[in-house]
Amino acid sequence: MILRADEVRKDFPRAGKSSNYFTAVYPLDFVLESGQFTVITGKSGSGKSTLLNMLAGMLTPSGGKVFLDDKDIYSLDEKTLARLRNEKIGLIPQGHTALLSLTVLENVLLPYILYNKAQPPEKKAKDLLDQVGIASLMEARPNELSGGELRRMAIARAMLMEPSILLADEPTAGLDSENTIAVLSLLRQAADEGAAVLVVTHENEADHFTDHVLTMDGGRLKG
Amino acid sequence: MISLKNLPYKNLKGYAGRTAALLLFSMLMALATFGGTMVISGIRAGLNKVESRFGADIMVTPEDAKNDFDAQNVLLKAEPGYFYMEKGKMDEIAKVDGIEKMSAQLFMASAKAGCCSAKVQMIAYDPATDFTIQPWIADTYTDGPMGLMDVVVGSNVTVYDNHIIRFYDNDCRIIGQFAPTGSTLDNCVYMNYDTVKVLIKASFKKGLNQYSEYDPDDVISAVMIKVRPGADIEKVAGDITKQVDGVSVATSKNMVAGIGDSLKKISGSVSFFTVTFWLIGTLMTILIFAMMINERKREFASLWAMGASRKIISDLVIREAVVVNLAGGILGIVLSALILFMFKDLIGQVLGVGFLIPGPVTIILLAGAALLSVLLAAAISAWIGVRRISRMDASLVLKEGQ
Ligand SMILES: Nc1ncnc2c1ncn2[C@@H]1O[C@H](COP(=O)(O)OP(=O)(O)O)[C@@H](O)[C@H]1O
Ligand SMILES: [Mg+2]
Repeated sequence: MILRADEVRKDFPRAGKSSNYFTAVYPLDFVLESGQFTVITGKSGSGKSTLLNMLAGMLTPSGGKVFLDDKDIYSLDEKTLARLRNEKIGLIPQGHTALLSLTVLENVLLPYILYNKAQPPEKKAKDLLDQVGIASLMEARPNELSGGELRRMAIARAMLMEPSILLADEPTAGLDSENTIAVLSLLRQAADEGAAVLVVTHENEADHFTDHVLTMDGGRLKG
Repeated sequence: MISLKNLPYKNLKGYAGRTAALLLFSMLMALATFGGTMVISGIRAGLNKVESRFGADIMVTPEDAKNDFDAQNVLLKAEPGYFYMEKGKMDEIAKVDGIEKMSAQLFMASAKAGCCSAKVQMIAYDPATDFTIQPWIADTYTDGPMGLMDVVVGSNVTVYDNHIIRFYDNDCRIIGQFAPTGSTLDNCVYMNYDTVKVLIKASFKKGLNQYSEYDPDDVISAVMIKVRPGADIEKVAGDITKQVDGVSVATSKNMVAGIGDSLKKISGSVSFFTVTFWLIGTLMTILIFAMMINERKREFASLWAMGASRKIISDLVIREAVVVNLAGGILGIVLSALILFMFKDLIGQVLGVGFLIPGPVTIILLAGAALLSVLLAAAISAWIGVRRISRMDASLVLKEGQ
């Protein structure tokens, strides 16, 4: 499966000045292929998250197109795109993304229950939690978890649906080196099992896990 | 295990404080709307019953009775009382044009003292001419015609197993009991003339009756009048006032007008409280719900990121609002019903008018309306919540803070 961006661009209105636009991502081409682990580094504010969100079907580009296997995802209606995101794209957003009323296990199962009435795949969720090393916290509530544990929970959740695309926004931010290595190995493993993996980060710690390192600077991507 | 179906419940449980506040306010809202409309229709039901039970167009009472006896009051809130005029007034009244039927009644109040089982208003009627009481008696009593020392009692009169009620050392046999009217008619004991004469004489003997100079054979307390079809009630009443000395005349219309006025006043203030409570409840529900949605912005954005469509998220929000408001609404209605049933007599006393619990159909309709009013608040809350969520930029929310 291939995720491809053609000439995608994102403009944001500048706060206060209604007619003035500011370009967060200049038109760029980008390809993400199965089995590959790609890293985009860049300073804070360089447009990494904006690009990642456009690739994830979360943020409509101001120009250009995003194709998933030759399907223009922003030509789909909201419902179909949401379903596509649920089935094909595993997104690990920046920061905390847990539902506080649910247990860790229930949080991991969430993507499944959105469109399936059948018994959720509890065993698989537990295996994933085991892989990310927080199986013992399965029944805990998110607010009992540390930042690193929450991040790992989000990774397990993003992998539950066995997505062909995995997009992670700063998955290692705020983690100690041990946790960082654990998280990156997991993503590397997902790529080895056939997923197309993109990690966005402002640090260099991912370098030796990756196939490609790209740099983003001022909204432009450099090889 | 978790499912899309039980997700709203888990969320509500997870935000227990907010949920409790929402429950409380929707409960208060239902309590007020159901309670308020029940009280208004209960008063209306009580007054309708009194009006139809009263059954006469005009009631003539002795003039001097006016001070301590008001025809309206006897229906709504009077203490039992007694007063008499000469029987001869009947013939004078009969001369007035436009009267179709007339029937005399004799009132007496049993004393509070040890002589009697209860302090009640006794009303004797003349079976030959009566048209106001017998239609109701026919509904209730089964034990053959009313004989000497037989009585039919109002719903508030306690009937013991032996069916005996004692007045001035005389045993009366209770042969029937009326359904409640929510008025003082419920405290009355009905009997025929022969019976009341025995009781009046007994009260004289005991010195418990201030009218001992009267011969019970020669007095009456009130004359109930039905006018001929087409006759003007006000005119007939006016003619009686003019042509007969020493009497006070009340028309059912007067009484109903008085009743209507007090009903309007009470309904007005009850409605005001009901609407105020509902508004406060709705506002609070909307506010709390909006706060809860705002607090959970990141959760909704996360759901969207993992592939929930806007519809799935909206449905979740709507179901949370409906579940919590419905639960609060049902609680409020049940609580309100409990209070009304437990304190129905007290409510009538406090309001100073007849109060009857409305029939089951009315209760169901009012409960349905109260639930709808609570669900309306749920709908508004959910609508505001859904709008907030659909307008939010999920990618931005996920970037904000941690
Ligand atoms: N929704 C938005 N509205 C306005 N400006 C935004 C929005 N999202 C991002 N930006 C701006 O676009 C630029 C790139 O942001 P972002 O993609 O988050 O950078 P990075 O993830 O590399 O730190 C920043 O200057 C940021 O302020
Ligand atoms: Mg970023």
